Amino acid sequence: MVFWRTLSVAGALSLWWLSSGTLFNPILVPAPHKVAVHLWEMTADGEILFHAWASLRRVIVGYALGSVLGILTGVAVARIRIAEDMLEPPLQFVRNITPVAIIPLAVNAFGLEEPSKYFVIIYSTIIPVVFNTAAGVASTPQIRVRAAMCLGAGRWDIFVRVVLPSAWPFILTGLRVALGFAFMGVVAAEMIAAESGVGYLIMQSRNMLLPEQMFSGLFLLGLIGLVTDRAFQFTIGRLMRRYMLQTAAFD
Amino acid sequence: MSWRVLRLEGVGKDFTRADGGVAEVLRDVTLTVERGAFFTLLGPSGCGKSTLLNIVAGFEGATTGGASLDDRPVAGPGTDRTVIFQDVSNALFPWMNARENVEFGPKMARLGAVERNERAEKYLRLVGLDADGGKFPFELSGGMKQRIQIARALANDPDILLMDEPFAALDAITKKHLQVEFRKIWSETGKTIFYITHDIFEALLLSTHLAVMTAGPKAGIKEVFQLDLEEPRSPSNPDFAAMYSRVETLIDEEVQRMRAR
Ligand SMILES: Nc1ncnc2c1ncn2[C@@H]1O[C@H](COP(=O)(O)OP(=O)(O)OP(=O)(O)O)[C@@H](O)[C@H]1O
Ligand SMILES: [Mg+2]
Repeated sequence: MVFWRTLSVAGALSLWWLSSGTLFNPILVPAPHKVAVHLWEMTADGEILFHAWASLRRVIVGYALGSVLGILTGVAVARIRIAEDMLEPPLQFVRNITPVAIIPLAVNAFGLEEPSKYFVIIYSTIIPVVFNTAAGVASTPQIRVRAAMCLGAGRWDIFVRVVLPSAWPFILTGLRVALGFAFMGVVAAEMIAAESGVGYLIMQSRNMLLPEQMFSGLFLLGLIGLVTDRAFQFTIGRLMRRYMLQTAAFD
Repeated sequence: MSWRVLRLEGVGKDFTRADGGVAEVLRDVTLTVERGAFFTLLGPSGCGKSTLLNIVAGFEGATTGGASLDDRPVAGPGTDRTVIFQDVSNALFPWMNARENVEFGPKMARLGAVERNERAEKYLRLVGLDADGGKFPFELSGGMKQRIQIARALANDPDILLMDEPFAALDAITKKHLQVEFRKIWSETGKTIFYITHDIFEALLLSTHLAVMTAGPKAGIKEVFQLDLEEPRSPSNPDFAAMYSRVETLIDEEVQRMRAR
């Protein structure tokens, strides 16, 4: 309902506006219209685009690598006994270590430049992708595989034409979750060690007491996340629709 | 690949249970199914009918004995034997429309697009779904899905159809229609059918041969009948009714025996 949605946004903005200068110090929590003006200025002089692109570029590289590695690893874990035995224990252990905690290690190991960011994003991406892929591959109905065998499919055809398509809904769910994780990872990494990116923008604004800039950065994060998630959904809806027919849950 | 008989010889099957024990399911099952027969297996629930079918399909190996076509032993799944599953939603490929499902076998046989398409059309027409080739499984009713599965099996031109309670999940009316249609398809295509059901009526309506199994564990064959019933078959025919009660008695005996354990 458009009405309730509008009301909800308007309500949140009003609360923010009212609390600035009453509940919070207006220098630290500026009113929404001040943030809007600042955001506009930063957009006009290209600063927003610079930082947004810096983060996005890192995510594209890290997410692409992490996804491919994650899918391959997930398939291996689900299909190859030795891979399961060797990879399952470290993965089960490592999945408990949040990407943020990995950042200092990433910086020590890969330096302050781009590679450490890629590492953090790959790490953030790979975990959900591996586990979802493995679950999807393992959940292929046995009779579907048997039906394919009766119809003359060999091992490779069964994998490519039956197991993988059956697993796509799981894999795509993993990829979608991973996309969110990738942004969390990159922002955290940029807050700790970077010269550009939205995370850097936010951290710098705290250090330099530029609250309007900080809020602009937060707004930007929300916006980028929303747009990329929608773009992901749109692409899946276009390219992978037939594979989603087996599950209703993918809105 | 010409053959005359499907033979099951001294088939025994043990499973290792989850608790480590051994489930002795089948013992010394020996059966002969002539080419072209409609052979139906009846028996108490859990006696091992599906297990036997899986051995013929080559999904499972027998612990002793085995299945063979003439003297070629069944060593694994093959395109000469196609299974029709009861759980049709999982058996079909949900991401393929009806036509693509039917074309799957011909595609695996590396047939060209034109021939694949011809086959699909032919068998979709045979099961009365030539207008629904573009529909996906989720858009089809249970009965339609089962027709697609039958068309998909036939499009691959197997010698034997192995059917494990194919119509058991359908409503009574759809089931009746499919039984009649399927008997026609059987007589037109001349396929050999190895069929499992719990429905004595269905068994008598469709089969040329009928085997009743004993209750498990260590289940075997209790009795085999050749059905020379008056055509068209109908429960109001005296020989049909007599056979019905005879088979029913046999199964009841086994169920009693199972309960008594
Ligand atoms: N993989 C397995 N491991 C252990 N026991 C099994 C396995 N598969 C089947 N069984 C056992 O073998 C017996 C026969 O099973 P099967 O499915 O062949 O029976 P069925 O005659 O087809 O029964 P229903 O009429 O209910 O379909 C059952 O007691 C079952 O518990
Ligand atoms: Mg069964």
